[in-house]
Amino acid sequence: MRRGAQPKTRGPGTGMGIESNTAGSPENPCGETEPDALRSAARKRIQQLRTTANRGLWAIALFLVVSIAALNHFSFLPPLPDQIREQLGTPPPAIMISGLLILYSFSSLVLILARMVGDSVSHSGFYHVAYLTGFYCFYNLAGSLEDNFWAVFAAGATILSLESYHLWSWCSRQINIELEELKRLDRIE
Amino acid sequence: MIGGLAGKAIIPVAVTVTGFVIVCCILLYSVMKVDMTANAERQATVLAGTVVKSTRYAMLQSDDENLRDIIANISSQQGVEHVRIFNKKGLIEFSSDQTEIKSFVDKKTAGCIGCHSGPVPTASLGEMEQARQFVNAKGRAVIAITAPIYNEPDCYNAACHFHPPGQKVLGTLDIGLSRHPLQQSLATMRGRMLIFSLMVLVLTVGGVSALLVRSIFGPMRMIKKFCDAVCQGDCKHGLPPFDGQMEELSDSVQKVAGELKKSRIALQEAEVRLSALSGHEADPKNAPTNNEAGRPTEDPRTGNRHGD
Repeated sequence: MRRGAQPKTRGPGTGMGIESNTAGSPENPCGETEPDALRSAARKRIQQLRTTANRGLWAIALFLVVSIAALNHFSFLPPLPDQIREQLGTPPPAIMISGLLILYSFSSLVLILARMVGDSVSHSGFYHVAYLTGFYCFYNLAGSLEDNFWAVFAAGATILSLESYHLWSWCSRQINIELEELKRLDRIE
Repeated sequence: MIGGLAGKAIIPVAVTVTGFVIVCCILLYSVMKVDMTANAERQATVLAGTVVKSTRYAMLQSDDENLRDIIANISSQQGVEHVRIFNKKGLIEFSSDQTEIKSFVDKKTAGCIGCHSGPVPTASLGEMEQARQFVNAKGRAVIAITAPIYNEPDCYNAACHFHPPGQKVLGTLDIGLSRHPLQQSLATMRGRMLIFSLMVLVLTVGGVSALLVRSIFGPMRMIKKFCDAVCQGDCKHGLPPFDGQMEELSDSVQKVAGELKKSRIALQEAEVRLSALSGHEADPKNAPTNNEAGRPTEDPRTGNRHGD
């Protein structure tokens, strides 16, 4: 069976669009394996994994940029018009936002640890940056960003560093598997 | 270290526990800071009310000398930054600072703008709205309370007084208290929380490391030493008993070593028989490194070939 005829497959629980080496060996119609095709597919996967491993760092960089903006109370943005502010209503109290931040941090950390145990990677942390930006915005609207900035920053640093570490170690392991596959192909020849 | 087993086991646990504790500590500190500040403002408001009530009789009697004396005594208290009373127009009548008497207060300052932002000033305020925080000219952080002195029946019915009954506010007492004790308490709390977070980090990393060394790395080192010895043909020493899954691993490794030993003996016997048949003497030195097929053995983990 030809590899090109197969639908694009993913590794166990990756969700990253990286083709898995468990999808089956490329074979010609006579059932013979094609080491060159296998080798180039493995190299392609290694390249994809190396790119994926860096995604965590991009998420951290984006979070740092958002944090710098939050530190200045998003002063580069125009002030919210009073009409929109009235439509939005009274901002939630700071203690309620803090409670949600604790709940969010706890559940995120538990989920990342669960993914570590299950050996699956499905995210690179960008959606965490969106959630954390939401917390910055809510605290800013509630007028208590100054008091709670470091809490959001520490939560973001913890969640994103753990997520990035997991992504990096998972990609490193997958790269090692691919390198072993390349070595095996070399030995066959 | 980071990519190794120790790093993989310690880093996630240390980052998770320490990060979460730090987030909780910062949020707890923030909530406690708000509570303590609100408490300090409440106490300052109570103190302002006490001052207004204690000066009430002197005001009714229009006893300026007595009023000046009360204000001087209060302002001499430790932690009191300023005390002043000004009338409805903002003219300072009594103050702990003699230089500002008979001058007008600036209505645009932090404490005044709250009521004077509109064309008609607010006549009554809640407890928390009376408080303001700022740094004074001496560079000290201050919590100041502005307590309005309301017109009461005793005031406008007194024979000596000139306030009409329609005038709601006669004047305002402004008292400023140092925030230094509050800041000191907050700094102490911050330091204690920092030490607590560090202790959590050390205990987490230390605890996980100790458990790993005792339960995983120690037994693994022994198993590796055993495997190395078996590879070199030394099958005399066994492995000590371990706990749980390490015991299972140790049993499996010992089983593999036993099988290897049996294979080697069989190989040696076969070689002896072969040499006896062919009339040549077998070289025992080569025996352990070659398998039955005569091909060099291969390390399954590294792919290195032995016995070439």
